[in-house]
Amino acid sequence: MTISLEREAAAAVPPAGSSRPARPARRRRPLRRLLPSTLRHAVLIVASLIFFGPFIWMVLVSFKSAQEALSVPPTFLPTEWHPENYTRLFEIAPFGRFYVNTVVVAVLSTAGQVITSLMAGYAFARLRFRGRNLLFLVLLAALMVPFEIVFTPLITLLSSLGWLNSYQGLIVPNVPSILGVFLFRQFFSNFPTEIEDAARMDGAGVWQRFRTIMVPMATPMIGSFAILSFVYNWNNFFFQFIAVNRTEFFTVQIGLTLLQSQEGASNFNLLMAGSTLAVIPVLVVFLLFQNQIVKAISGGLR
Amino acid sequence: MTALASARLPESYRRRTMHEKEGRAGYALVAPTTILLSVFYLYPLLQTVVYSFTDWNPGAPGTTSFVGLDNFAGLFAPTSGFLSALRNTAIIAIVVVPGSMAVGLLFAAMLDGPFRGRSFYRTMIFAPHIAPTVGSALIFSYLLTPLGGLVNTALEPFGVNPISFLTTEPWAIVAVIVFIVWQQTGYTMIIFSAALSTIPPSYHEAAKLDGAGVVRRFLSISLPLVAPTSGFLVITGLISTLQVFTQVYVLTGGGPLGSTKTAIYWIYEQGFQFFNGGAATAASVVLLLIGITVTAVQLKFLSRRDTVEML
Repeated sequence: MTISLEREAAAAVPPAGSSRPARPARRRRPLRRLLPSTLRHAVLIVASLIFFGPFIWMVLVSFKSAQEALSVPPTFLPTEWHPENYTRLFEIAPFGRFYVNTVVVAVLSTAGQVITSLMAGYAFARLRFRGRNLLFLVLLAALMVPFEIVFTPLITLLSSLGWLNSYQGLIVPNVPSILGVFLFRQFFSNFPTEIEDAARMDGAGVWQRFRTIMVPMATPMIGSFAILSFVYNWNNFFFQFIAVNRTEFFTVQIGLTLLQSQEGASNFNLLMAGSTLAVIPVLVVFLLFQNQIVKAISGGLR
Repeated sequence: MTALASARLPESYRRRTMHEKEGRAGYALVAPTTILLSVFYLYPLLQTVVYSFTDWNPGAPGTTSFVGLDNFAGLFAPTSGFLSALRNTAIIAIVVVPGSMAVGLLFAAMLDGPFRGRSFYRTMIFAPHIAPTVGSALIFSYLLTPLGGLVNTALEPFGVNPISFLTTEPWAIVAVIVFIVWQQTGYTMIIFSAALSTIPPSYHEAAKLDGAGVVRRFLSISLPLVAPTSGFLVITGLISTLQVFTQVYVLTGGGPLGSTKTAIYWIYEQGFQFFNGGAATAASVVLLLIGITVTAVQLKFLSRRDTVEML
């Protein structure tokens, strides 16, 4: 931040003054200004390689042969492209089915999270009812206790409901989203009350105001939260891993651990093809909607 | 006067029924979240606490009986392995939380303000946080493989013999820690970026006029002003490292010799492999108490205003 401000200030001065003071400023620039700027870009390029490079490597290796994946020295591009790695993947395990499962679970969990937290967020922000603050405090406390603490009895509960190895078992326990309730409560609290008050004076009931005024106004926030929770639901592993043990209900992530145990350390090209299948959809969603994702994540703060 | 009173009566009556209606609608709107949370979260939480005092077996639930504090005593017996799992979790948390915060803050500071390539760099650094853990962990296990892995190949010219990072001590836990920092840095960066962008530029300009350099301005202006954000990140970071499972499951399977086994991993083994539900739930209760303590201590350090802002 500080570096860029300096640069902005430096850039702002010459056009304001005459052309004469601009010259010495430019002469000084290479040493004093360019160095921090170059240094910054150098650090950030290295960082980009460390943080994003592994994904590029993953895609490249997924097209190599098993031997080439482990060749010393390593090749950057595959000497021979092997797209059949991907078809082999679908022969080893029903990845098509895993994909369908992942999409079904992620989409329905997200829809449930958006609807329930939108409703609760609105109620906590705008409606007065007895016990509201107490209920909200309970949610607040629950946010601090990770789900991983309660999983042993939860699985027994799902088992007694007959929900192990089922879509409802994978989806319904995921639906309540405390984070979503917070985000929407925050959003509606910061919203001016005039429009809703006017509608109330005109005799519009709660549901009508909710549907015709509040939900349309919250559309950008709904979009951000939906994208973020889709990504989190797609990536969810631990809960799915313990709630399911039949292959027909595996998601892509569980399928990957199956692949890891079958192909082990020898066929890294296949493992990378599997990882590519799991990672690419999320990265595409992220690249398309990164502003919304970032907004939803940092919006949890304010 | 009487006219006024009679005009007011229906009005206040109307308003009261309206409030009652709104109250009922309020309950209806919060019901789905509340009911689902009670069934799938609070009820199992209650069961966790109750079962921790019993010899509950998830595989044969009929025979459960009360055993007092035996499970807790068992946890702290040296043979249980729980203490070493707790120690591993603590090591991961103690390195990962400040590590990812320091790197994230550095990047956030470097990415603050407009310059060419800014959003590109942000995207690249943030990507690991959004990618599915199993996929990323498989990439790391490939990069770290002893023969033909990129890391060992890169170390070879320096005369380093191939290292089995994921199956030797202490490298395995180092690899797990590096991986989690790699995943978390994008998150801390985004949160710090949001905090830095709220600092008015005039603060920095004023300090610059007084002759303060880049480092001095960072330490005296940016750092104190992101302190509440750091408090928030410490809490969320500690709570998320208490839950570490997937990273370890894929990278090391808890090995070698349990050196990367985390608390949740230990609970998973007890509950699902050894059907020792009493020990699993007792360990969950201990983790729960640790989480509550950590949060309470943190909230005590944060001022009241910051806490409200945080939520």
